Amino acid sequence: MKTTLKLFTLLFALFAFVGCSDDDDAAVQEFTVTSVSPESGPVGTEITITGTNFPADVSAVTLTIGGVTASITSVSSTQIVAVVPAGASTGAISVTVDGTAKSTSSDFRVLAELVSGTMENLFAPSTSNFGEPAAGPFTKFSFETGDVTDSDTEWDIAFRTTTIAVNGGAVTGTNDEPERNGSGGAAIEDALFSEITSADTFTFAVDGTGAFAIPTGSDNGWYNYNFMTNIVSPLPGKILVFRTHDGKYAKVEILSYYQDNPTSPDGFADPARYYTFNYVYNPNDGETDLTSAE
Amino acid sequence: MVENLDEVVVTATRTLRQLSSLPLPVTLISKKQIERTGVTRLNEILDEQTGIIMAPDATIGGGLGVQIQGIASDYILILIDGVPIVGRLSGNLDLSRFAIGNIKQVEVVKGPSSALFGSEALGGVINIITDRPKTEKISGRVSHRAATFNTQNTVVSINQSKDKLGYSIFLDRLSTDGYNLVDREERQTVLPNLNYTFNSRVFYDFSENLSVFASGRYFLRDFDEPSGTSEQREGNAQLRVDHKLSKKTTFEYELYYTNYLTNEQIIDPIDNEILFDSEFDQKLFRPEVRFNHTFSVSNTLTAGGGYNFETLDRSLFAEEVSLDSQYIFAQYDFEPLRNLNIIVGARFDNHSVYNSQLSPKISARFAITPEFAIKGSVGSGFKAPDFRQLYLDFTNALGGNYSVFGKEVERQGIQRLIDNDEITRDPITNEVLLRVPFETLGEPLNAESSVGYNAGFDYRTRNFKGEINYFRNDFKDLIDTEILATKTIGANVFGYVYRESVYTEGLEVNLQYALMENLDLSAGYQLLYAFDKDIKRELEENGAFARDPNRNNQTIRIDRDAYFGLVNRSRHILNAKVFYEVPKWGANANVRVVYRSKFGLTDENGNGFLDDFDNTFVDGYALVNLSFGKKFFKHYQLQVGANNLLDFKGESPFSSLDNRILINPGIQLFGRINFEF
Repeated sequence: MKTTLKLFTLLFALFAFVGCSDDDDAAVQEFTVTSVSPESGPVGTEITITGTNFPADVSAVTLTIGGVTASITSVSSTQIVAVVPAGASTGAISVTVDGTAKSTSSDFRVLAELVSGTMENLFAPSTSNFGEPAAGPFTKFSFETGDVTDSDTEWDIAFRTTTIAVNGGAVTGTNDEPERNGSGGAAIEDALFSEITSADTFTFAVDGTGAFAIPTGSDNGWYNYNFMTNIVSPLPGKILVFRTHDGKYAKVEILSYYQDNPTSPDGFADPARYYTFNYVYNPNDGETDLTSAE
Repeated sequence: MVENLDEVVVTATRTLRQLSSLPLPVTLISKKQIERTGVTRLNEILDEQTGIIMAPDATIGGGLGVQIQGIASDYILILIDGVPIVGRLSGNLDLSRFAIGNIKQVEVVKGPSSALFGSEALGGVINIITDRPKTEKISGRVSHRAATFNTQNTVVSINQSKDKLGYSIFLDRLSTDGYNLVDREERQTVLPNLNYTFNSRVFYDFSENLSVFASGRYFLRDFDEPSGTSEQREGNAQLRVDHKLSKKTTFEYELYYTNYLTNEQIIDPIDNEILFDSEFDQKLFRPEVRFNHTFSVSNTLTAGGGYNFETLDRSLFAEEVSLDSQYIFAQYDFEPLRNLNIIVGARFDNHSVYNSQLSPKISARFAITPEFAIKGSVGSGFKAPDFRQLYLDFTNALGGNYSVFGKEVERQGIQRLIDNDEITRDPITNEVLLRVPFETLGEPLNAESSVGYNAGFDYRTRNFKGEINYFRNDFKDLIDTEILATKTIGANVFGYVYRESVYTEGLEVNLQYALMENLDLSAGYQLLYAFDKDIKRELEENGAFARDPNRNNQTIRIDRDAYFGLVNRSRHILNAKVFYEVPKWGANANVRVVYRSKFGLTDENGNGFLDDFDNTFVDGYALVNLSFGKKFFKHYQLQVGANNLLDFKGESPFSSLDNRILINPGIQLFGRINFEF
């Protein structure tokens, strides 16, 4: 009963205040915009604009990001919370109250969303006979297109049997390998795929004479070879983090070396050299976030 | 059959000892049991004993190795009349080589026995004791056994012991069509083969104090290789002189020579080109002297020494290699208190290649009452690095060009690869990349070693016998392969290093009960935990990764609970047997059931150990064997039976829709007719 009374009083006071201000423009103090957090994010990111003297009424405020109107979630006198709208592009955030517009000094960067995908059955054959050094072209893959590519420059990683090349550094000296003309690199981390959330702290190795950024051989890099069962198993808990040819980042978990990712491959019968891997690719320049979508 | 008090064994102490009074876990398989079951080869009868199984290696259909207390066959010594058998392939000794038609008993000592027998006796010793002729008249036997897979086994034996001379002649011929466990393989899992065992023995007493025993054994097996040849030959010659200096002091002088040979050649059926040619020729010559002195009834000193000369010529070795070793041992078996028996012993082995070994052992048994006794033992065991681990120089041209070097040849091997520019180099400094410093290559290996503990009690009454034994075996310095370097073509170069420390631990229970005079029941059980200590510790501290087949093979984290343990180990092994006899009809019948719980064959998901997410497990299974025997007239006996009566075939985890791989070939019926004179 007491609470209801209090609420009623408060509501009444508010009503009186709003009614009052309607009549009295001079009472509106000029608002300011001081900061935006975060300063970048993909569509759907919730952003908070901090300032002073924002009106209490959501409908009194218009907010645009790069010219596209954003929907406002809540307003208080010092904070406006809004969501980056679909179609927004990088640009200043503009707040308009009663015809007065104020913009942030720096642009809000609308990021492309991280791309999560699964590449199935990437075929990485060798043309040499069994037991001889591998030969024949590598199968090149581009994170940007999420598919294999024939491009000599726009590729990020390339596969031939169990060997993985990156488009960075220099040629290793093996037969028929692609020219390295990008700024790619690789790091191998012990973790679950979902636990790698950023490429920030890793050191990236590159290919070079005699050695690949991802070391070759059983238990050296990404796989184990069991000669009793003749099975190549991707080492569990080895996450490959790549820098792409154009300096972006991606993480990869190889799931299988056999066609159609069988749960229990037959090393003597199942077609091998078919990679299936999960990846998360951050298409934004300089961005290291690699959080997997749940 | 509840054991009689007069059952004696020699393997536990190298002296005749009453089985029931021994402080060590010993299994005795009697001639009667072997005859009643109708089996003819050593592997078959061992497979029915508590805590002993014949375990397949990872490939199913490959070699079967005997496993005792969870310890693999590499670490179990096989003897015939006290002298060692050679001829292991990848550590396994094929026990189907041994016909058991002329034996008195098989003795199995469980736990480390290197204090008496030296290398290889880490896990135990299996000693095949041949029968001594007893009758003055010529006696003997002719029998023929026919079984499934067109298995035909003929045995002829003749024995006589007259005055000072005794002799025994034994001939065994076995032929079989073999069988196939793998659908897709055209070459059978067990090839059709024909084998002969010939064994003749002579006993001669020069006087009451001087006697001689000589034995010659020859085994020949010829496999019907579809295109090519494959044969095994084995010869053993043993000469022993027993000299009683006095009633209390005895010397035994023994000379032993054995040679095991295999020859395998596979020929291309079209152009007759030799595809595969492999020879294996191992020889051992061993003189040994033993000394026994009995101070009083239960107070005996045993000592001895010997010299092993061993050579192996094998296609995969650069040249014939030889090893020498010398050894001495001593043992004191005494009763410091009434009802307390203690045996202490030690052996010292000096070897030409690996570091020398001292193996002590102590065991004790205390009879609290005449029926109830507690016993325990602690002993060490070792296994010398084998020829393969020392001298192998092998590059697998058919399987990815990886190379393996034994310890003694690895330095030269790596140097050769470096000279041929086959080893990867640092891209910047151009230095050769080795995983271990070049200077340390070829440093001598220690022997693999173990410490084994056994403790338990036994209880026996007139018609009941019960035993419980706890065991623990700690192994260290187990030799494993490690990558020494990587070739420029990506293949690895392997060498041998010590890495693993493993343990096996468990409990064995044996119960025997004579329900009626001619009805014997028995049951046995082994509980086993077998783990790699380093993997276990790593899992406890940091966990590990595996792949979840239900989530598209994605990595998941696992903890200690998911670690199943060493491959090929079953947590539970059970057997139950009923033997029944009707003397007035001259008839007998028996049923034996053996069960082993699930076991895994290999790591599959690449984390280096067997876990619950590896799909390489064989489900637990039981085999039921039975046989009936009846005497006819005076000299004839007819026996019929079935091994694997329920026709269990199982399915290997490596099976697929178009390629079924079985665990067992299925039911095997047999009939045997026996003529004794």
